Amino acid sequence: MTMAHPSFQPPGWRWLKAQVWGLEHAFERAKAAGKAEDDTRIRIFFVLALFSASFLTLAIGATNSAVFSNLGRGDGGAAAVGSARADLVDRNGAMLAADLLHYGLYIDPQEIWDKGEVRRALLGSIPSLTPARLNRALNGQRRTFVLGGLTPESRARVHALGLPGVTFEREERRVYPLGQTAAHLIGFADTGGVGLAGAERALNDLAHQNAAAGAPVALSIDLRVQAALEDELYKAATLHQVKGAVGIVTNVHTGEILGVASYPTFDPNQAGKSSPDALTNRAAASVYEMGSTFKVFTVALGLDSGTATLASTFDARAPLTMNGRTIRDYHAENKVMSVSDIFIHSSNIGTTKLALQAGSGTVQKYYKAFGLTTAAPVELRESAKPIVPRRWDDNDVASTSFGHAISVSPLAVAAGMGSVLNGGTYVPLTIRPVKPGFRPKGARAVSEETSRAMLDLMRVNVVRGTGGKANAPGMRVGGKTGSANKVIGGRYSNNILVSSFAAVFPTDGPLDADRYFVLILMDEPKGTSETYGFATGGWTAAPAAGRVIDRIGPFLGVDRRPEVVGTTPAEAVVPIESEH
Amino acid sequence: MSVFSRKIRGFRLVDVVAAGLLVAIILSVYLAKTIAGGERTEIATVEKQIEAERDRIRLLQAEVAHLEQPSRIEQLSAAHLGMAPMAAKNEITPETLGDVMLAAQLKAATAKRAAEPPKVEVAAPVEPAAKPLTQVARVSIPGVQQ
Repeated sequence: MTMAHPSFQPPGWRWLKAQVWGLEHAFERAKAAGKAEDDTRIRIFFVLALFSASFLTLAIGATNSAVFSNLGRGDGGAAAVGSARADLVDRNGAMLAADLLHYGLYIDPQEIWDKGEVRRALLGSIPSLTPARLNRALNGQRRTFVLGGLTPESRARVHALGLPGVTFEREERRVYPLGQTAAHLIGFADTGGVGLAGAERALNDLAHQNAAAGAPVALSIDLRVQAALEDELYKAATLHQVKGAVGIVTNVHTGEILGVASYPTFDPNQAGKSSPDALTNRAAASVYEMGSTFKVFTVALGLDSGTATLASTFDARAPLTMNGRTIRDYHAENKVMSVSDIFIHSSNIGTTKLALQAGSGTVQKYYKAFGLTTAAPVELRESAKPIVPRRWDDNDVASTSFGHAISVSPLAVAAGMGSVLNGGTYVPLTIRPVKPGFRPKGARAVSEETSRAMLDLMRVNVVRGTGGKANAPGMRVGGKTGSANKVIGGRYSNNILVSSFAAVFPTDGPLDADRYFVLILMDEPKGTSETYGFATGGWTAAPAAGRVIDRIGPFLGVDRRPEVVGTTPAEAVVPIESEH
Repeated sequence: MSVFSRKIRGFRLVDVVAAGLLVAIILSVYLAKTIAGGERTEIATVEKQIEAERDRIRLLQAEVAHLEQPSRIEQLSAAHLGMAPMAAKNEITPETLGDVMLAAQLKAATAKRAAEPPKVEVAAPVEPAAKPLTQVARVSIPGVQQ
């Protein structure tokens, strides 16, 4: 207990009193000296100054608290943090992937007095909740996460039950509303917000950056084109009972991928339940010996290098024997053929002679310029490296001239074909849309004259040659079939094929006119009664390519030419029965 | 007597006025803070509602995207409406509508002539209907390569 003297005062207090009394005495002295006005004014001024300073301070503080207190707190908006990812949209803004609000279900067993009732209610309300998981949470000692990914409707349903100890927390979950549509291109991300495949993986950093800015990430695909491509590809794949199939649509000038499909496909919302086979993006991650579609490259390099002209002739009267192997034409013309005929009749002998005449160095140089010796330069991480010959001797040059002994991804083929058909520059493919009117400057691969000649040659091949079934009415389609024998057990099979069709449309008009490339590839297609048992590119891939072009042409602004509607050339009605 | 020296019930007038002013200012600050607090609460509530609505909109957008996925629309339109991808022959542009009408008229005229019974007594050569009609049709299509 403090026993302070009643008259005790702290030193500070005594000093303050002395100051106040000193001031008061000063006022009294001033008053006694006959300066009452001054005395009052000084007092008033002193009081006013004191109050003004106090209230000014108060006013500034109050204004600051009332007006600026919420600045920087960020509680008004949806600040994206951590694992948040931006929406993926197609080139027209259609939603492809989005982070959507979901709820996580938590249970605190300490707050539950009737566990049986809670168990029954929850199991009845949430079909995906397993009893084992629920029991583990109910029998625990602390608040436990039970189930994630509850939609707001599910959460509201459970919340309405009024169960004690059952709480929810917000969580964002990646959702792919289109299901299987464009699944391989979109890819998928894990629950931590990390992209694992497709564009989700390729554009992972951009997705996080744009999430913070609230802007979506646009992809180059056009959903309408994608849908038509998938529909026709899957129908053809089902019809021909294929092992796998690929469809690609690109803009040859910009390198934009407007549609890409791989069969079989999967649902990115349930990627974990899909088989590795279905998850494989065959357009990017698989490599194929393409067969005769490679003759586009061989003829292009032959023309561009000055090795031959379209009128140059090569003797294809007899099979070509070299290093103990015999190269035959599958529908032998047995005649001296021009380069045009070699292309239209898909002559292996003629193509081989053209490539050999060009020489190994020239072939390698052009294949490199076409991007066939490296992985396709596209954002997708799945882009596979090609399998190329080691020595590039005459044997290899001969084989690669008609698409054997070199395996490339379909995307690499699409990029290479673009360089032949866009005026001659190699433009890397991209899954991002480019600005309207912008045309990337690619590296020169072939001359404009060669590009023009190849466009015309491919058109003739559809009108008169093996690609007749791809002749979509009025779309001026050009193309080249391919049917490569697959290597089974180290040897080329006679009847198991990779059939393909590489198409371009429209083939007319100036070289810088809008032009699109379509590739349809089928892995191990089976013949049907409609195809008379044939499973080659002209019978399987070409019709699908024609139907795709028929449907997507209007979306891409390609006008039909009325005069050719319904006038499929007679020569093209029945393609040559087996082209390679 | 100066206004500064005037007293009311022993208190200087200026002091009373200053005290009143002080009370008024305190009251106004209190009211401003209270009203601002209420407004802030209301703003927070509205912002929360906006956020909830935004989440709802995104959810509905995703649902629309899901319901409008092309493969689903195609299946439904084929199953319930018997629709199919449009055939090339059914496409028409506004510029060629006149040509289509002309072609239809020519076709009807041709059919009508074909349906008329042959006049036996006429020995003179009959003008073939198809030839001039075809020529008319070709000439009438503007800007098209023949």
